Amino acid sequence: MNRELHIVGFQIGRETYGVPITSLHEIVRVPEITAVPDAPDYMEGVINLRGKIVSVIDLRKRFGATKVTAARRNRILVIEHKGKLAGLIVDSASEVLKIPAADVEDCLASFQEGGLNCVSGLGKWKGRLIILLDMAKLLESSKDKGSNQERTVENQRASASAAGASATK
Amino acid sequence: MSHGPDDCNAEMRELFFETSQELLQSLNDEALKLEKNPADLECVRSIRRIVHTLKGDAAACGFRELSQTAHAMEDALALESIPLNTIAEIAFTAADTFAVMLAAYQRNADVPSSESLQKMLRKAAQDSDSEKSSEQRASTMSTGPAIWNEYEQLAIQKASAKGKHVFHVAAIIDPRCAMPIAARQLLLNALEGWGEVLATRPEAGSQKPGKKLEVLLATEKTSEELARRCRIPTVTLPEVSVQVVASPQPQPGKTNPQTELKRTDAAIAQSETGSSPAVTDPPSQGESPNTSGENVLRVDAERIDSLLDLVGELILGKSMLQQAFYELAQRFPKEAIRGRFLDAMSFQARVLSDLQRSVMKIRMVPVEQLFRRFPRLVRDVAKECGKDVELALSGQDTDLDKRLLDAIAEPLTHIVRNAVSHGIESGQERTVAGKPARGTIRLTSYHQGNQVIVEVSDDGRGIDSQKVKMKAVEKGLLTTDEATRLNEAEILDFVFRPGLSTAEEVTEISGRGVGLDVVRSVLQRLKGSVEIQTHHGKGTTFQLKLPLTLAIIKALLFHIGHRLYAIPLNAVAEIARTTESELHLVDQHEVLQLRDRVLPLIRLGSAPSDTAQSARKIFVLVISMGERKFGLIVDSLVGEEELVIKALDDRSISTDLISGASVLGDGRVVLIVNLPAVIERHARSRPGQQGTVASGFLLPTADLKLAQSKVEAQS
Repeated sequence: MNRELHIVGFQIGRETYGVPITSLHEIVRVPEITAVPDAPDYMEGVINLRGKIVSVIDLRKRFGATKVTAARRNRILVIEHKGKLAGLIVDSASEVLKIPAADVEDCLASFQEGGLNCVSGLGKWKGRLIILLDMAKLLESSKDKGSNQERTVENQRASASAAGASATK
Repeated sequence: MSHGPDDCNAEMRELFFETSQELLQSLNDEALKLEKNPADLECVRSIRRIVHTLKGDAAACGFRELSQTAHAMEDALALESIPLNTIAEIAFTAADTFAVMLAAYQRNADVPSSESLQKMLRKAAQDSDSEKSSEQRASTMSTGPAIWNEYEQLAIQKASAKGKHVFHVAAIIDPRCAMPIAARQLLLNALEGWGEVLATRPEAGSQKPGKKLEVLLATEKTSEELARRCRIPTVTLPEVSVQVVASPQPQPGKTNPQTELKRTDAAIAQSETGSSPAVTDPPSQGESPNTSGENVLRVDAERIDSLLDLVGELILGKSMLQQAFYELAQRFPKEAIRGRFLDAMSFQARVLSDLQRSVMKIRMVPVEQLFRRFPRLVRDVAKECGKDVELALSGQDTDLDKRLLDAIAEPLTHIVRNAVSHGIESGQERTVAGKPARGTIRLTSYHQGNQVIVEVSDDGRGIDSQKVKMKAVEKGLLTTDEATRLNEAEILDFVFRPGLSTAEEVTEISGRGVGLDVVRSVLQRLKGSVEIQTHHGKGTTFQLKLPLTLAIIKALLFHIGHRLYAIPLNAVAEIARTTESELHLVDQHEVLQLRDRVLPLIRLGSAPSDTAQSARKIFVLVISMGERKFGLIVDSLVGEEELVIKALDDRSISTDLISGASVLGDGRVVLIVNLPAVIERHARSRPGQQGTVASGFLLPTADLKLAQSKVEAQS
């Protein structure tokens, strides 16, 4: 029997990414997001998901996009990981893909480092390449990365306030 | 999946772990009592009862090692000639050993050996006159008189005054008898026909089969007749002992020596039946699990939590309804039915707040549960340091949220340890200073407004602020320049910084440089605070301030930029209105002169970009953190609201500036500011450039960018 992976595909830039459908809680439109101070750039803030507070990461920023424009078709994938919910902002969510397990390759070694260390494999589907994400790595690594970025954030703010004050003078 | 017996077993073990903690606690309590008052036989009996209960429970749950150790201990305690002070020592060791074993069982780990306890027991056994005691044991095991309680002794006196013999009949049920309970009943019936049964051991109604039946019988028959009567083939063994307890001479006030409470094996024989230990208990034993079991429910904390969550949602629903009503009222200002709506809503609000309070009360437990562990701790630490320290407890009945109580256990332990090992001086030093040689540590708890205060004070040497200052400079936390400018309170604040220990030498117990900073961070997490007052040479007081509950707070909502934030209302002392031009810059810190005092300010939002904005109106929230006051500059106020605190996902949000979030009636998310963290961040930030001020703690970095993108998203 041919085992199939059920993958929710979504677009970030020109690429299609995928997460296993089992880890998906729901897909919602982007509501008003309450930003959290002191957080890394890609950490957009928190949203109210029917009374639950869910933190939201902008995957586009997480993957290194510097200029992000919001559009109507943007969605938040609400992911359930280890009993907790987290939201991922993506450009658009498209379809459920059924990829035969045989068509999934391990990801390249060069992906293991840098910002993309959360790729678990590459799936081929109708001639397209689907980048499969590992939720555990994506959500758990963001914390260490966060503290790194936090420092740069603080630096930025210090210089910003310095600039503001010098303008005052 | 197989449920059923396994589940049941697990539940029983869960229960066992809970009750055993209580047992260990009472074991410690009794041992302490015994140490203080070595002649107290009642304590020894209590200890034995506790160990016995533990043994039985452990055996029932299949924890063989524990039950064997307890058994060995019980045996050793039974030896009459063990000096009483060693018993206290043994009890302490036993409590520790049992605790370790229990923890191992709970983790399903390998059970550690109880060798040290066993060795102690063996030594004690050798020390005592083994020959004599073993002989005595052999005889008492079979016929030892049970202990009769006061009521029963009264009955004995009455019966003998009426001219009856009172006999103590002890018969042993034939072990081959298939139905020991029925056999017991048979024997009782036989005796009841002959006289008045004053008391039985095991007590009537007890379901546990005991091998031995002891009856106190008031009758006119002779002892020989009684003995014959008791010998029922296949039901009882032929050895029946009948002893005269009281003869028919009215001798009020004098009891037979045999009825005197003696430290003998009888207590074992009595408790072997598993009957309620309350028989000879002093009333202080009331908290033992067996006695109050009927009115107390053991409920999983999770169930109460989910109930509390639901109440939180209800309160959310209430504010949603209120919001909707106000909008409606604005649209139809003349609608007559509005009054009825208002009535119904205020009624609902009242019931809701009652409901909230009752649910909250379920979670409340007296701090005594926490305080009880300290006498033992103080004793141990004091012994280790060679000091004489007394612990005075008060306010044990103050109620506190169970979750808070569990959370402050560790910090409080740390503070108390510190107080003993560093706060209290050695006996010599104290006498030189003209203080009593014995140090005192006070542990107090009381309500203050919407807070619960837990206080630890010692009458020791106090904290030398000069020393703290030197240490802080030495560790590079402070420049000498800054050090001279700080006042006493600000310097003392440094003891809560990581990496600062004023203890000269590092001991096993405390002074390793970790500690008070952890205490503070725990308290901050709980939305409480810790404060310190010290008088050099007179003592130190640590004050832990805790909110009554964790789940729901009254909060003040305000805007920073266009962002909504909230702070706990009880932190706000007052609200001042002013303009940017009223603010002054002192040493790169903004201050505001408020009446006759200068208020340091913390700018949460962005600083004004040009002088044109200097007329801008701003609000300053005056908050008091202990002795110190700060002003928070906010852009506009929104109002007061009851917030149901929801935790943020700490995997992705690592900031300590925000302690939680909540959802408003209209669905907006509001972030709750963690004040202590903001103040600390403010204190740490050193503006790099002349003329600049630290600002914008609560402004998200991507704020402007985000605002832009949102406008686009909405279009």
